[in-house]
This record gives sequence, C-alpha cells and structure tokens, in this order.
Amino acid sequence: MPKEEEPRIGVYICHCGINIAATVDVEEVAKYAEKLPNVVVAKHYVYVCSSPGQSMIKDDIEEHKLNRVIVASCSPTMHEPTFRKVVAEAGLNPYLFEMANIREQCSWVHPKEPQKATEKAKDLIKMAVAKSRLLERLQVKEAGVTLRALIIGAGISGMRSALDLADRGFEVHLIEKAPSIGGRMAQLDELYPTSEYALDVLKPIMDAVTSHPKIKLFTNSELEALDGFIGNFKAKIRVKPRYVTNECNACGKCETVCPIEVSNDFDFGLSKRKAVYLPFTVAMPRTYVIDYENCNKCGKCIEVCERGAIDLKEKPMKMEVDVGTIIVATGHDLYEPPKGEYGYKVYDNIITMPQLERLLDENGPTQGQLQFKGSTPKSVVFISCVGSRQEPGIYQPIEKDQQLNRYCSRVCCTATFQNVLSIKKKYPDTRIYYLYRDIRSFGKGHEEYYRKASESGVLFLKYKPEVPPVVSSDQKGLLVTVEDILTNNETIAIPADLVVLNVGMIPRNDASDIQTKLRISRGADGFFQEAHAKLRPLETPLDGIYLAGTTQGPKDITESTIMGSAAAAKAAIPLARGKVEVEPTVASVNEDICKGCGRCEEVCEYGAIKVEETGPFDRVPMLVAKVTEAQCKGCGSCSVVCPNGAITMRHFTKEQIKAMVRAATGG
Amino acid sequence: MSEMQGVLVIGGGIAGMQASLDLADQGFTVYLVERNPSIGGRMAQLDKTFPTLDCASCIMTPKMVDVGRHPNIKMLIYSEITKISRAGKKFKVKVLRKPRYVDETKCIGCGICAQHCPIEIPNEFDEGLGLRKAVYVPFPQAVPLIYTIDKDNCIECGLCEKVCGAEAVDPNQEPEEVELEVGAIIVATGYNLFDSRKKEEYGYGIYDNVITGLELERLLSASGPTGGHVLRPSDGKIPKKVAFLQCVGSRDEKVGNQYCSRVCCMYATKEAELVKEHVPGTETTIFYMDIRAFGKGYEEFYIRAEKEFGIKYVKGRVAEILEDTASKNLLIRAENIESGELIEEEVDMVILCAGLVPALTDEMRKILPLPIDDYGFITTAHPKIDPVSTSLKGVFTAGVAEGPKDIPDTVAQASAAAMKASIVAKG
Ligand SMILES: Cc1cc2nc3c(=O)[nH]c(=O)nc-3n(C[C@H](O)[C@H](O)[C@H](O)COP(=O)(O)OP(=O)(O)OC[C@H]3O[C@@H](n4cnc5c(N)ncnc54)[C@H](O)[C@@H]3O)c2cc1C
Ligand SMILES: Cc1cc2nc3c(=O)[nH]c(=O)nc-3n(C[C@H](O)[C@H](O)[C@H](O)COP(=O)(O)OP(=O)(O)OC[C@H]3O[C@@H](n4cnc5c(N)ncnc54)[C@H](O)[C@@H]3O)c2cc1C
Repeated sequence: MPKEEEPRIGVYICHCGINIAATVDVEEVAKYAEKLPNVVVAKHYVYVCSSPGQSMIKDDIEEHKLNRVIVASCSPTMHEPTFRKVVAEAGLNPYLFEMANIREQCSWVHPKEPQKATEKAKDLIKMAVAKSRLLERLQVKEAGVTLRALIIGAGISGMRSALDLADRGFEVHLIEKAPSIGGRMAQLDELYPTSEYALDVLKPIMDAVTSHPKIKLFTNSELEALDGFIGNFKAKIRVKPRYVTNECNACGKCETVCPIEVSNDFDFGLSKRKAVYLPFTVAMPRTYVIDYENCNKCGKCIEVCERGAIDLKEKPMKMEVDVGTIIVATGHDLYEPPKGEYGYKVYDNIITMPQLERLLDENGPTQGQLQFKGSTPKSVVFISCVGSRQEPGIYQPIEKDQQLNRYCSRVCCTATFQNVLSIKKKYPDTRIYYLYRDIRSFGKGHEEYYRKASESGVLFLKYKPEVPPVVSSDQKGLLVTVEDILTNNETIAIPADLVVLNVGMIPRNDASDIQTKLRISRGADGFFQEAHAKLRPLETPLDGIYLAGTTQGPKDITESTIMGSAAAAKAAIPLARGKVEVEPTVASVNEDICKGCGRCEEVCEYGAIKVEETGPFDRVPMLVAKVTEAQCKGCGSCSVVCPNGAITMRHFTKEQIKAMVRAATGG
Repeated sequence: MSEMQGVLVIGGGIAGMQASLDLADQGFTVYLVERNPSIGGRMAQLDKTFPTLDCASCIMTPKMVDVGRHPNIKMLIYSEITKISRAGKKFKVKVLRKPRYVDETKCIGCGICAQHCPIEIPNEFDEGLGLRKAVYVPFPQAVPLIYTIDKDNCIECGLCEKVCGAEAVDPNQEPEEVELEVGAIIVATGYNLFDSRKKEEYGYGIYDNVITGLELERLLSASGPTGGHVLRPSDGKIPKKVAFLQCVGSRDEKVGNQYCSRVCCMYATKEAELVKEHVPGTETTIFYMDIRAFGKGYEEFYIRAEKEFGIKYVKGRVAEILEDTASKNLLIRAENIESGELIEEEVDMVILCAGLVPALTDEMRKILPLPIDDYGFITTAHPKIDPVSTSLKGVFTAGVAEGPKDIPDTVAQASAAAMKASIVAKG
C-alpha cells in the first residue's frame, strides 16, 4: 500500500453478548461511526470475536477494499492478537488493525448511565478512527536462538533446572560460585518430612550433574557481565583459580601438612579447616581447593602432593559464552542474629538452627554427637521466627539500622520438628521446648510430622511478638523466660543447656551484583521479583531470564525442586522453537536529530537503548542512541525524556496520539 | 531426532491450562480434557486473589483465551476419559465427548437460546446461589463460549431450537468417542470443597446464614448472583457482623483429615478484607488455630488485615453454632485460647473456611491406577526431589490434585510437570 493511498476503514462494534449491548446503544454507535472520515463500513455484531464475526471482517476487507480495521469491543490484552491474525489472514498488515475498548473502559464502568456510555463509546471510536488513519505497516522480525541455557547457581534448584534441560536435549552451562556444587542442602542433616539424610538424597543428583554429557559445569565461577537479549545473550564468565588442578585425587595429604587453620564456613564456624581443603565430604568436583587469602604459601602441600596437582600460580580464566536463555538459581543466605538478640554471642550455648544441623550431622564437626562446648545438653529450647516476621513497631531491633524481614521463612517450623525428632532419637531423655508464634507446617505430610514431634514429648509454648522470650543467664546456666499464651499468659522460666535460634532465610548478600548484571528487580523483601505474583512466578520482567528456588523467596527443597523444573520449562520454550519474535512496536531513533545526550539510556530499565559512536563524519565521531529492538518493551520512557524529540514509539507516534487527543477534545 | 509425541492433560483448571501452554509453546501437541463445559476450574469462581487482590477473572481470562486459540492445543471440553492403555512407550487413550446438544461448529455463543429457555435451576458455578437456564454457559467468559443443554433439566420445549439463528441446537446429538495416542500424561484434576455438612455442630445446610468460603467468593463477585453484594441468604440483608471459621475439615482428625489445606488462612483474610471493603464498618472475626501466612507477601497481607482493616483474629476452635430461629442470627460458642475465656458471640453470618479435598474419583483411578495418599491426593515418586512424577512411568501430576496449594504454587508445579512430560514425549 503506497503511503498516500486513502485510508478505507471498517469499524466493527461488538455487543459482547449483553456485556456491551445492554448499556451501549450499539446500533446508534454504528450509525455514528459510519459517518466518520474514511470509514467505509460500520457494523455491529453480537460477538465479533466468534468465527462468524471474524469471517464478516475478512469478507468486508475483500468486498469493500478495506485497508484499516477497527474493532470496538474489549481490552486489547484479550483479543488484539486474535484480530491482528484475522486481518493478516485477509492480506492486510496486522498493525493496520486498531482496537477501541468500549467494555472495560465504558459499558462495565457505566452500567447505570447508558446514554452517557453510548456517547463515550462514540468518542472512543472517533479517537480510534483518528489514529487508524495514521497507522503504518510494521513488520514482526524474527531472531535466531542460541540453543544453550545458562544456569547461575548449583544448589538443588539450579541442578534440577540443569538436569531437566539437559535431559530434554539442550546444552547447559552451569556456573557455581563455590568450589563445590550442592548449595545449602549439603549443610543439612536429616530432611523433613521423610527423615532421609540430606547427602544421601543430594549425592545422586550431584553425580548426575557432573556426569551428564550435555552439562558443562564451572565451579568457582561467576558471571562477570551479560549482554544481549532473549535467544541471544552473551555471558562473560570468570573462573577463579582453584590452585589445585584436575590431577588431584583427593587423597588429602596436602590437608594434613597444611599449617594454617581457619574457621570453617561450611560448619558455620563450629569447626576449623585448613587453607587447602575439600569443601565437604562428598564435594563435587572431588578436587581440593586452596583458600589463597589465608594460605601462607609455605609450599608444604606442593611437597607432599604425589600427582603434582598444586599450582599456586594458576590464573583466573575468562570465557565468553553465547546462550539463549538464563535461569537464576542463586539461593539464599541465613539470617545472622545481631549480637544480643536472644543472648546470641553474649552467652555461651546459644546457636542457630543451621549450626544445630551441622552438630547433628554424622559427617559434621562432632560426628553427629549433640555436643556443644564439651557437654551434651539435657534441656534444649528452640525459639521460632528469629529474623522472620519482624514487624516494624512490634519487633524491637537490636541495631539501629537493622533491616527488618517481615516475611515468614516457610521452612523453619517443620525443620524444627525434624531436629526435635533427630535429637529425641539420639537422646530420648532430652527435654525439648518449642517457643513459637504460629505452627506453620502446611506442606504435604508436614502436619503428620508435627504430630509425630508432639508425640515425642516436645513442649509447645506460644509467645506473642509483642512479648518475645527473654534469654538470661545465672550461675546454673541459661534461663529462657516466656509468657505462654497456651497457659493463659503464665510466665514460665525454662532452664536451658542449649538455645537454638530458628533463623530465617534472607536474600544473598551479593544479590545486588546479579541484579545489576542481569537488570532484574528485587521486591521489598530483597528477594528477586517474579513478573506476576500469581500467574508468572518463574519469569522476570526480562524475556529469557527466569528464576528458580530460594532466590525468589524462602522455600523448602520440594518447592525449590518444583521451581527448578518449572524454570527449565520456561527456558526450554525459546530453545525448542529455535527462534524468537521481535515486536515492532518499539522505540526508534531519528539519528539526524539525536544529540547523543544519553538521557534515554539512563531511564531505560531494559538496557535496550545505548549511546554509541557513529560516523566518523568529517573525522568527528558522533554520538547517537541506538535501540536493540529485541530488548525494547515499547514502554516509551526514552521518548518522554528525549529533549530533542528524536525518539518515536512505533504504533504510538506523537502524530497518532495528537490525532486521538484532537478527536477526543473535538479539536 | 525422533518424532515429538502428544501429551494428554486431564483437567482444565489453572494447573492444566498452564501445563498445556508450556508444552504447546515448546511445539508439543496437547490434548486438554476437561469434564465441565468450560475450562477455568475453581479459580474462575474466585472473586479476587490474595495477596495482590488481583481480580481472578481479569488475570485468568487472557490465559483461557490463550489456551483456546493455541494452534497446538486440542481442547476436548465437556469430555471424559474412558480408557487408558499402554502401547509400548505410548498410551492409547479413549475420550468420550458428551453431547452438548449444541453444534460446536455453529454456536456463536450469542445467548439468545438461554434468554428464551423457560427452565431455571441453581447454577453450580455460583455454588447453587444463583440460577441458570437449562441451556447455559457456566459463566460469561467461558472458553469455549459454546452453550450446553442440560438434558436432565430440559423439558424439550424446543424454544431454543426455534430462536437459534445459527441453527446450532441439535437435540439428537450423540456422544462421540475420540481415540488419541500420547507419550505422556499430566493429571491436574484439582479439588472439591470439603463437605461442611460433616461438621454437624456448625449447622451448614441447616442454618441459612452459614455458608462456605467459596459461596462467599460468588457473593463478592460483581458478576455473581447478587451482583457483588454480600447478602444474608435468609433475608437478603447486609450482615453487620461476620465470623470466619478456619480449619473446617482440615487439621481435624475427627473427620479424618489431618492435613492443612494451605489456602484457607489467606482466603479468609482476603474475604474478610473484601467484606469490609464492600460495606465499611462490618465487624469481621476470624477464629483460627494457627495463622499460616507463609507465601511471598502473605505475612505482610495478614498484618495489614489485622492492623489496617481491623479484622479480629481469635485463636480458638469453635465448639458449636446455634441459630436464633426468629432472627436467623447465629450464636458462636468458642474458647479464646489467648485469654482462656469462653466466648458466646452473636453474628449475622458465618463463613466456613472449608478445606480442599481431592476431586480425583475412584472411576478415574480404575482407568489410571494412580497411587494416592490416605486422603486421596496423588502421591509423587519422591516427596522432596521428584515432586511431580508419579510411580506410573510417563504420568505426572500438578496442582491441588497432588495436594492443597495456592495459585502461584499450582502454576509453578504445572510448569514443572510440563517439563517432565516434555522430556518423556520428546521422542
Ligand atoms: C536450618 C534449615 C533446615 C532446613 N531443613 C530442610 C528440610 O529438612 N527439608 C527441606 O525440604 N528443606 C529444608 N531447608 C530448606 C533448604 O535448605 C532450601 O530449600 C534449599 O537449600 C534451597 O536450595 P536453592 O537451590 O534454592 O539455594 P541454595 O542451596 O542456596 O543454592 C544456591 C547456589 O547458588 C550458588 N550461587 C549463589 N550466588 C551465585 C552467583 N552469583 N554465581 C554463581 N553461583 C552462585 C551458591 O553458592 C549455591 O551453591 C532447611 C533450611 C534451613 C535453613
Ligand atoms: C474459597 C477459596 C478461595 C481461594 N482463594 C485463593 C486466592 O485468593 N489466591 C490463591 O492463590 N489461591 C486461592 N485458592 C486456591 C485456588 O483455588 C487453587 O490453588 C487453584 O484453583 C488450583 O487449581 P487446579 O488447577 O489445581 O484445580 P481446579 O481449579 O480444581 O481445576 C481442576 C479441573 O479439573 C477438572 N477435572 C477434575 N476431574 C476431572 C476428570 N476426571 N476429567 C476431566 N477433568 C476433570 C475440573 O472440572 C477442573 O476444571 C482459593 C481456594 C478456595 C477454596
């Protein structure tokens, strides 16, 4: 269609059953529309979206040589795609279709004023006609897809995503920051609600990940930068040196001779490890690693290593990989109570629940003996919701600028029952008290587990957040005082040999690094934010980047696994299709007017517009803004801030919008 | 590469729809079988959803439309599975398409038939609170938008046939059997509400003004039977005091359900908020055992309900409810565990927050011998690390069919089941 060709518009007014027609006088509106400039036909019909309705449009395009179509009906989110397809099937460019919303924006909101609603419907159609006359044809472009996924984080959720995508037939690059895969699950003892030993469950998965031919694993590695868009990302990855090569057979001789001892993070400081170490018993890869910062470079390990596997001169390695989709599975950190919260770090014998898991673990620092500072506690008090459900105004922060976590951490209640059962199994005479706010054992089999724990003899005391338990100490030991709701607010003092603080999950302290590199957003709770709380729990607002596991919020292993598979399903879609469609309704820059000031780049949330050097003209390089169309969401922010009016939003051009405003205001 | 096989999805609730879309988007042919006249499941019955208060149909309708027009999704709606047998690695499936007595290819969903139909019966979609005709669509946004004649209630007056301009009414339609071959199956049959009559002490089904949470959703809905007004069934008056009872049929060994239904704390909180929003000043009290606000944004939602909306939370199980026969008001007897006091409170309306029970039937399990737990929810291969596979190879599950869960957890599990099915069906 040459540009100067006269618009020939068809207008179709939908009754939507009675949804529109009961309020808006559709016949009157059709008569009105027929008289608007360039309108060739105007009809009303009971359901324009039904197949007879669609045929009517197609026939009219043919018969009346229409080159523009307007449907006045519901919100475009519903049926714009339907009608674009209809006009395309009749040979028109789909972007020559326009919609007027006379349902959500008219009949549904003015059911009691049919006359005024009818007038409003007329105005909305008049505006659509004004825009329609200026519509331009646009082409949907297609971009290819690199058939490979990148997964960041190899905890239970990231490993699940990797295995599923690989089993589906796609290549996977899995990068893990730590020297071993496994994540936090490796630090647990027995798991609720089956009482299986965590490593027994975890190890086969770690083995499968390591041996899968389609998974390329990079441990000790981090994402350095990311560029590109869905289907066509470029990831820069930095592999940190391990200082121990693949030659290592994990014989452990180096460790024995290493003179350096540092606190072991894996055991939350409950043990020491050497500067050359294996992260944990079943670490994968089974290769030692040197903690370079703490190593004194004495060279003893080099001497004893029969395989010559130690290389203190190893350099970091950088690589760049092309990937089509990305899954973020970077997990969580654990709340570290500030000194003084329930006596933490003030009195001895106060630990966190993750530390308790380490003590109960047969492969842990005490070989599974519940021993703390040399003795076995006879009385253990668990305190719930430490670092979770911290309500401003109720929770009394210990530190001035303490970040309050208002959310529930979801796993602690049932994890407590697991630990209660483990302790009772090993030490049946231990007296156990659970000081809680609400019991949240909501998952499958959890309530039954709660009962099992109750039957094992644990005493439940419910406290109010306004009056939290107080931990003090006298010469005999610790004393926990609590106002118990279940006994009509009686104040009860419990002598305790060990107090366990059920600390919650918090966002990782390095989450902002991933956030800026990927341009994904975080919620008020600090966890990564999904695209829609109800229906898009796995997607981020950025196409091609998905979330799995506790990186999105507290979850247990079951839920992290589900999300791992689910994120894999999302990541598999572009890979299976092999192409992505690029919407043409995006920003476009008039390079003649653009001064390269960069305001657009600053406001773009999607990294879709960047100032680049162009030219050189007369040897002077010029700066202009360039749009990566596949990354642009068409939000229009850049166009608004551009001081020179150099940026046009296709399909929502200034001329089109001005024409609509003029139509609406009668100008 | 060998050929991609089709996948059968049983149940067209939000779980079945999401699984279908994720598979179809990958290029698999999906057969979506739903026994009701429309897809949508229970979510379609909800008014707004916690914790964002998004209107359920506003976020769900576009999804239903996506399913309806996806070129790779073959919808077998108003249909039932009659047989599943294994053929090597594949399944042979027989599906019975029940007669709608309306020709699917001709009906344009105009609704003129229903306007003329003289029969009115309680509408299941409105939990029986509203009426529908003998020729009907369950709700206006139904997908597919095709009318169905309910033969049990039809008097065969022939009016609908006469007025149908599309000549779509076909009283002689026969059931039709369709045979499919698929590589994987996803079972997403969802839930029913616990039958509150079993808790006799609460008087459901006897006292007019004791209703369920799902019934309240229909009353709250602007497109529901009362146009979005919460009215007492006994006299159509606006209630001033409303009580919500938690754990009706959940966490209750007396009725044999030890499990927690996972959504009731939050839906009660949501509904109490909405009741107050509709009629400011309404007094709302929630009787609970534990408040389980564990999901993302849930704790914040609960705190806001208590602090900003002034919803009263009382820890205690209600012992019994009595009705004042004259006023039809209800007397609640409970123990407030926090104060130790016995409460006797008169309210205008009681909402029973009934739990979720599986909709999977014994007949379905004769066709496909799915392993189930004590309560009838589908058991998965491993509760921790294989939470969507069943012990039947190639058969997966998602949504409340596997256990109670909210919409985001249902959607995630549906995508996970789609992933597992795609691995099996890729050939
Ligand atoms: C005390 C306690 C007891 C528990 N008990 C149970 C139980 O009994 N049953 C149960 O089901 N659940 C339990 N849980 C919950 C369980 O720990 C989590 O559900 C699970 O670990 C979450 O796995 P994930 O993959 O999401 O995260 P993580 O385990 O945190 O894994 C994330 C991985 O990503 C890596 N990573 C992070 N950032 C980067 C980066 N930038 N680049 C590369 N890699 C990165 C990390 O090193 C880590 O390996 C318990 C939790 C606690 C605290
Ligand atoms: C009162 C109430 C309020 C709620 N409010 C919220 C809320 O605000 N937010 C939230 O997140 N969650 C809420 N929920 C929970 C929500 O309803 C569920 O999470 C969700 O509907 C589960 O979807 P589903 O697909 O698993 O099951 P369903 O919605 O039950 O869908 C199952 C489908 O399968 C079909 N089917 C069953 N058997 C067969 C068969 N044999 N053959 C063919 N088809 C079959 C059914 O007809 C149905 O269409 C609420 C629940 C209740 C009871």
